[in-house]
Order: sequence, then C-alpha cells, then structure tokens
Amino acid sequence: MSAPVLEVEDLRVRLRTPRGTAHVVNGLDYTVGPGETVAVVGESGSGKSVSVLALMGLLPSGSATVTGRALLQGEDLLAMSPDRLRRVRGPGMGMVFQDPMTSLNPVLTVGRQLVEGIRAHQRVSKQAARARAVELLAEVGLPDPARAVDRYPHELSGGMRQRVMIAIALSNSPALLVADEATTALDVTVQAQIIDLVERLQSEHGTGVIWITHDLGVVAGIADRVLVMYGGRCVEDGTVDDVLDRPRHPYTRGLLGALPDLAEPLADGSRRDLATIPGVPPPPTDLPPGCVFWPRCPVRGDARCETEQPPLTVVGSGSAALPHRAATWCGEDSR
Amino acid sequence: MTDDVLLSARGLEVHFPIRSGGVFRRSSGAVRAVDGVDLDIRRGETLGLVGESGCGKSTLGNALLRLVEPTGGTVTFDGIDVTALGRRELRELRRRAGMVFQDPFASLDPRRTVAQTVSEPLEVHGLHGDRRERAARVSELLELVGLDPAVADRYPHEFSGGQRQRVGIARALAGEPDFLVCDEAIASLDVSVQAQVLNLLRRLQRRLGLTLLFISHDLSAVRHVADRIAVMYLGRVVEIGPAAAVGGDPQMPYTQALLSAVPVPHPELERSRKRTVLRGDVPSPAAVPTGCRFRTRCPSAFEPCPDVDPALQPVGQVDGHLAACHLHGVVGTPVAREDDAPEGPTPADAARAPRRAGRAH
Repeated sequence: MSAPVLEVEDLRVRLRTPRGTAHVVNGLDYTVGPGETVAVVGESGSGKSVSVLALMGLLPSGSATVTGRALLQGEDLLAMSPDRLRRVRGPGMGMVFQDPMTSLNPVLTVGRQLVEGIRAHQRVSKQAARARAVELLAEVGLPDPARAVDRYPHELSGGMRQRVMIAIALSNSPALLVADEATTALDVTVQAQIIDLVERLQSEHGTGVIWITHDLGVVAGIADRVLVMYGGRCVEDGTVDDVLDRPRHPYTRGLLGALPDLAEPLADGSRRDLATIPGVPPPPTDLPPGCVFWPRCPVRGDARCETEQPPLTVVGSGSAALPHRAATWCGEDSR
Repeated sequence: MTDDVLLSARGLEVHFPIRSGGVFRRSSGAVRAVDGVDLDIRRGETLGLVGESGCGKSTLGNALLRLVEPTGGTVTFDGIDVTALGRRELRELRRRAGMVFQDPFASLDPRRTVAQTVSEPLEVHGLHGDRRERAARVSELLELVGLDPAVADRYPHEFSGGQRQRVGIARALAGEPDFLVCDEAIASLDVSVQAQVLNLLRRLQRRLGLTLLFISHDLSAVRHVADRIAVMYLGRVVEIGPAAAVGGDPQMPYTQALLSAVPVPHPELERSRKRTVLRGDVPSPAAVPTGCRFRTRCPSAFEPCPDVDPALQPVGQVDGHLAACHLHGVVGTPVAREDDAPEGPTPADAARAPRRAGRAH
C-alpha cells in the first residue's frame, strides 16, 4: 500500500461555550489512503463536522482547542503556521460543504470564484485561470460551461451549485477531498449524479476522500471504510461490508434498525415498527463517564458500561490492514 | 367505493402568475406548481406523496386545505366543496383537517409555552370551554404524543427536534381532526428520531382512525408508512398505487429512476444495483414541456411523448395501480400544435392581466 494521504492520531477538540467546556471530539484515529473513501457517519452533534473543520484549521482559534496530530502527506496540519496552512488548503485538500447556496459568494460570478481559487495557488494569468475554470466546469458536468462561467450562483439549480463547489474544491487537484454532507440538501436523483461525479474524479486523480454523512445508504454505495461517530468518539470502524453487514456496536445496530429499508420486501398488512433509539445524544458539555452510548443503550451487557470507557478493540474478522473495531463492552452474542 | 373517499381533488391547479417588474407589473406567464391533479384519499389510509423538490408536492398539500388558493379545479372534503367555502366554514374545515410542518424549529412560536401552543386551536375553535378543561385536554394530547404532561409550561427552545415535532403533532391533533397533512414532517430529524416520529404517526393513525397525507422526498420512509403512494413530477401525479406496487414494481420511467437513485444500506447490493442516472435537472414549472412533462429527461421517450399529454391509466399487476405513461398505450389529450398556441401567457392569464395591472396603479 502506498503512503496514506492523511493520518489522524488522537484528534481532540474542545470548545469553550457559555455552558462550560464542550468535549466535541475525543480521540479520533484514522487514515485515508490515495483513492480511498472513508465515510464518517453519525447523527447531528456527534462531532463529525467539527473533526474535519479542525483538520482544515477552520475552527475559531479563540474558543477551540485542538490537540493530536493530523499528517497530510507527512506534514502535520495542526502544527502549521496559518500562512503555510493557507497554502496547503488548495493543492493539499479541498472541501465541499452541505449548502452550496451559503458557501458560494452570491455577488461574484462562478468564474470569479474559481479564478480566485486557482490564482491563489498557481502562478497563471487571468486568462489561463479562466480557461482552466471553464475546463473544470466541463469536467464536473455543467451544461454549457463557457456561458456558465459568467453566471451568478442564484442562476443555477442546487445540483449545479454543488457541482460548482466541487469544481472549486478540485481546482488545485487536492490530494484530499472532504465532502461534508455534500449531497444531503439535494434530491436523490441529483445526489446520484454528484456521487457518480466524485467517484469518477477520484479514480482519475487518485484523490483520497472523507465523506461525512448521516445517510447509511450513501455510505454503502461510496465508502471503502466507515467510521461511526457518537459523542465525539469513534464507536466502530472497519470496511463498509463489516460495519454495515456485521455491525457490532449497539449504536450502529440501532442506527441500521431505525432506517426504513427500501430493499426490504413489504409484508402484506402487518408492517414492523421501526426500531428506535430512545432519548437523544448526550450534550458534549456533559458526557457520561463510561460508554458514551450507555444512557440510550438497549443492551448494557456489562457491569463496566456505566463507569468505564470501552477502548476501540478489534472484533470479528477483518484483516490486519483493514481491521474491524468497536468500542463496546458488549460481546458478540449480546443483541 | 365513493363514500370511502374522504378527500378528493379534480383537475386541481395552482398557478402563480409571473409578473415582470416595473410600474405596470404585467403578467408574463405562470409557474404551474400544481397543474391538473386528480387525487382521491380514502378514509383511514396513509397516502404517501413523493417527488423531487419543486415538483409541487407541498403546494398540493397546502391547496387541499386551502392554505394556498387553488386557481382551478375542485377539492371535496367529506362531501363538502372546499373551494367554495366561506371564511367561517373554512375555519371548521381547518379543525377537521390539520397540518404538521417540516421544521419544528420554525413552526412553533418561541415565546409561547407548549401548553399555549397546543391549546390555541382549542380556543380558536371554542372547544373545551373553560380553562381547566383545556388544561386537561392539553395534558391528554401531550401524553398521546409521548411527552410528559409536566413539560406543558416549557418553551420550545428547551426541547430537542424530535420533541418539538411531537408538540407540533399534538397541536395538529387538538381539534380532533379526521385528516392530517404531514409535510416533510421528519425531514429535519436525525435517523434515530425519525423512526420515533414515524412509529408515533402510525400508532396515532391506528388509534384515532386518522387519514394521512404524508408528503416527503424520502422514498424509503414513505414506503414504510404509506398504504398507497402517489408520485409527482412538475405539478402532476404521474404514478399512483398501493405502496408495494409503486415501490416494488414501478411502471413509469420517472418512478423507476427515482427508486433506483435511493441508496440502500447494503454494500453488496449497492455495488451491484443498476442505477438509472437521470440527466439534467427538473425543467422549470414556468416552462413545462409539451405532452409528457418527463420526456426531456426520460430514457425511453418516443414519438407520441411530445404530442400527447398522457392520462393516468391502469398498469402493472395490481388493481388501482395507475401511471401516466405512453409506454403502456398512448392515452391522453393531444397537444395543440405550436403554431396555433404559442408559448407564453395562456388566454386565461391574458384575461386576468388587465385587472392586475389596474390594481397596481
């Protein structure tokens, strides 16, 4: 295996809030290889977005404390000067956010925004950057790119805006692409187009991708590996087949059970109730001392659950290179 | 069969005029948000209404309750012509037909306690006359939706999204309605909370004999809760039938594409699934294609599609499964040739335009 694009070690993020210190991310370890897609899954408040914003240096430095290491192609993002970080962001990593309407500047044309990104990192003339912008818009499948380049964001549909966002993120051929709920606001048909697009570009350029989503269906389609987050911790990770087909953590099982499944045949008349996870996630200002999922857990199969934090340990099959790990005291047979 | 139908729409239209700017504000065409919908909702059933954003599903839900005024067609609710109701009768309709909105953060007044929010419909409709009776009814409603009655004096910001949606449901149930429109009622909730609300809606329906119109873009959720599913595209219902038939054996290429685009949480299945990726975006409802409105994105469009506006016709293996598609036989209204009916304002718009211009002075 070639050198990983990104190696995250013991990433922790604390935020100062009026209600006390919020422990938003509590020790994440993962790697993303070239051409590999790692999906980070979890519900709102699980810390998945904050964990990547921390990598990008996009958290407010006044109230956020980030510790750990995050090596992007061997260089620690968390130890970089702001100036160096700014230079790394374009060619090193690109980011696509959930809402393309609020992440694009409404008073600049699409072209201006692309050119700005290109010229910030490459020494090219305005004309050359503009030509490259048209090329990029064509690459992400925007119809009539030569005219689209002079359009304003409001003239484009949601799917087209998200394509523009992807074009901007890819304009400096980054080694790592972070997509944070990039298709959540889109219709399923458009989502399918965007996923196809990212997969195609990824295989052409060998980009490593972190795909943040709460949609396990999307995960099944795109991910090589999955990391399930809850309460700022990774509670389970492994290959997409291991995690979705053979989930071991009660939280992962709960999430999968709560999902209406289009592939499941409809029984006549009697439909099952969906499995639910009672309660709501714990506030990051007041995490339980033991297993983070304990207060909502239907199993609670071990005396240590309430008091002792379970470490992420290898479970079930999985190879040494791609282990399947879960942070739970509950054994194999505790359903 | 007819007395089984609680609500029915015939030729329902909601057209929003597009006005040019300037002093005279002339009308130049219309956004045809809902454009000729025939729909029957049976007593006690859950009808799921799905479609992409902009297809008119929310406008249709609003028009059925006259929360937006239909510009054409009729709506009949339990034998009453809704489109002809005066203000007072409309109020009675609103008691019998409620609405649960998408965003529980925006649809609850942040300055009113849960009790005030839930008891407002009781006051408006003059139900449960005195204060004590109303308080008792509020507790009963909160319990019904799985909230502790002790929370009645709290404010919305003290609740999570799922709990707020329960408050929204309690409010909608206050007038003991027969019919509820749930417009994207679970869209803003987390997966584990969505399941709680879906289960609650189904339980309430069984217990109270409610009829539900469940509007959502989430096909998996709709298939899970609905008895029948209607699929909308550009202001029209293009396929309708029992949930198992529409979800399992779709007959209209649009429904097929929509279903194939829904990702399922099974890695092996996801990798092997044939996916119909639709090209392009939904056309603007201000410029609806002639004939079949899906033809511009349809992988199987053929000659009659631009020339004949397809009508719903029986398809598939199951009774009551209908689709508007020429692949099942060319049925529908021939389109007037372009030379006799140029694009632009329809005669009806032209007739209305002078009055609007006059008012703008």
